[in-house]
Amino acid sequence: MAVRSPVLTDNSTLSKIDQSLYRVESWFALLSGIAVFSLMILAVVSVSGRHLFNQPLPGYVDWIEQAMPLIAFMGVAYTQRDGGHIRMDILVSRLKGRALWAVEFITVLMMLAVMLILVWGSWAHFQRSFDFNSPMWSRDSSMDIALPLWPSKLLAPVAFGVLCLRLVLQLVAFGHAFITNATSPPAVPLIEDVVTQAAKEADTVSG
Amino acid sequence: MEPIDIGIAVSAGMLVLVILGMRVAFAAAIAGVVGLVWIFWAKFGYDPAQFGKAFTVAAKIAGQVPSSKVSSQALSLIPTFILIGYLAYYAGLTKALFEAAKRWVAWLPGGLAVATVFATAGFAAVSGASVATSAVFARIAIPEMLELGYDKRFAAGVVAAAGTLASLIPPSAILVIYAIIVEQDVGMLLLAGFIPGAFSAVIYASLIIGLAIVYKNFGPPVSGFTWGERFKSLPPASPIFVVVAVIILFVYNPFGGDAWGTPTEGGAIGAFVVFCMALYRGMRWAQLRDALMETAKLAVMIFTIIWGVLIYVRFLGFADLPAAFSDWITSLDQSPMLTLVLILLAYAVLGMFMDAIGMLLLTLPITYPAVMALNGGEYVTAADSAFGMSGPMAGIWFGILVVKMAEFCLITPPIGLNCFVVAGVRDDLSVQDVFKGVMPFFIADAITIALLVAFPAIVLWLPSLA
Repeated sequence: MAVRSPVLTDNSTLSKIDQSLYRVESWFALLSGIAVFSLMILAVVSVSGRHLFNQPLPGYVDWIEQAMPLIAFMGVAYTQRDGGHIRMDILVSRLKGRALWAVEFITVLMMLAVMLILVWGSWAHFQRSFDFNSPMWSRDSSMDIALPLWPSKLLAPVAFGVLCLRLVLQLVAFGHAFITNATSPPAVPLIEDVVTQAAKEADTVSG
Repeated sequence: MEPIDIGIAVSAGMLVLVILGMRVAFAAAIAGVVGLVWIFWAKFGYDPAQFGKAFTVAAKIAGQVPSSKVSSQALSLIPTFILIGYLAYYAGLTKALFEAAKRWVAWLPGGLAVATVFATAGFAAVSGASVATSAVFARIAIPEMLELGYDKRFAAGVVAAAGTLASLIPPSAILVIYAIIVEQDVGMLLLAGFIPGAFSAVIYASLIIGLAIVYKNFGPPVSGFTWGERFKSLPPASPIFVVVAVIILFVYNPFGGDAWGTPTEGGAIGAFVVFCMALYRGMRWAQLRDALMETAKLAVMIFTIIWGVLIYVRFLGFADLPAAFSDWITSLDQSPMLTLVLILLAYAVLGMFMDAIGMLLLTLPITYPAVMALNGGEYVTAADSAFGMSGPMAGIWFGILVVKMAEFCLITPPIGLNCFVVAGVRDDLSVQDVFKGVMPFFIADAITIALLVAFPAIVLWLPSLA
């Protein structure tokens, strides 16, 4: 649920940082969307090459596997900003004011902790395949056409790093909301009742 | 503590986090990382000097899961299927389908409602998302039904229920996710979803026809279309048939000989067909960019849960929890069938409160091995098994059953999302109205699930040919 939550903006520094970061995140997400589109084109080229011209696309599977992290990770912070990662909000949607900001602060803090660990862990994973002294700086390569693996392994720590920035920003915003006892703070996804949410969902998909 | 106790404690902790409103993907990742650290530190006898080492090992194991697990060809089906769904709106397929269904089947008793079910089932063939399907048809079909004098609650119920068909009829993102988590053949599962999906649609339609004959307060049938008008309505809806045919042909060639390629290629070619149709219908860069952004967002949401859960699964393996649960399940003094039915009922209850994808991903690592063990193990032959089917076939069958359960949960109160969406689209309907209208379809779904359990051949016939 909670596919899309409203994020308020105002003239505060916090909101300005939020909007700048959002531009970077949107750009990352678009990159991921373009990667999906490329997969489609790649398949058309590969299949028509094989069936019509008897000329399969070399390394088709390798390219897909290397493109997948682009799709899987790049939009992770963008989705967090808009509150798009699903959760069960039966309980939190009943909270208001300080109680709500406190719970949000604690859950975001735990997310930040685990993401920092994963940035480190995925960076270590990248480092094992990266070597300045090897050909194409790579210690390992893909099965078919020997693409270096380090670029796709690098995407996880990079995207997770941006997510960590987003989480820090949300921590500050929720903390500020807690201290000032705000009702509708900027820069963080707010919880909408399910009917409003559904109406918006319906708006976006009608064409 | 024994590893198994750590497994139970951490899993319980994860549930608490989920209930508190932690985003599901991260609750699973936290459980996985904490569990790994705990298990390694326990191995070192909780020596404070060794904590750093346990932490490093755990972080490195967890850190390689996201990259290594998502770099898979089979997983690329998920974004492709999502893209098909978003492009389908711009291809104008929904109205075309509804028009075609109206001309072909609306002469039946309760005709317009039956047409809605089949149009929705058809749209399900290009869309893997139930919620979106309900939203679109709430706009198209409900006004026409109301004009003919249908009860508004019933009209809303038809749309909410029919929307659930999207998850079984390929391309279904949720079946791909199931296949990945339980390591079954994706193509086989997509093929297996086809008949149960169509079967559900037929049961819905029969129920509507039956109700229309018994109660007279339904709108009149719509008749008077000539055959010429009927055939003219097909070409605008044709990409649907192309997508279905392509996906089937890329998995299994019914004319003998090899399949045309892989499911991944089939999905991508299907997307390309819909893309061309959308271009023809006037889609431009602005709309395409929106479709791509929405695809990226939904895809990353799903992938985040996948890698989050896979970190948790990594830990579960060390804790040996799935094996222990399987041992317990198989040692129960009751028939395996009863146990299976109880598991399915547990999903019905859980699904009342949880999102379908989150629910399946969090529970399958434990329930799937248990069901496989009930049947007699991963490599059992049909003759030696409890359910009368081989290990891989049981995996496919259980997949279709749990996905159907998850679908069922989209229309049950208190948080049946499809009902909220339909109510959200229509100002004149409250959520309670839609829940009332959808009630008859609970019975239809219960019958469908019972038949799928009693006659596994409905699910397994098509995959057994391939």
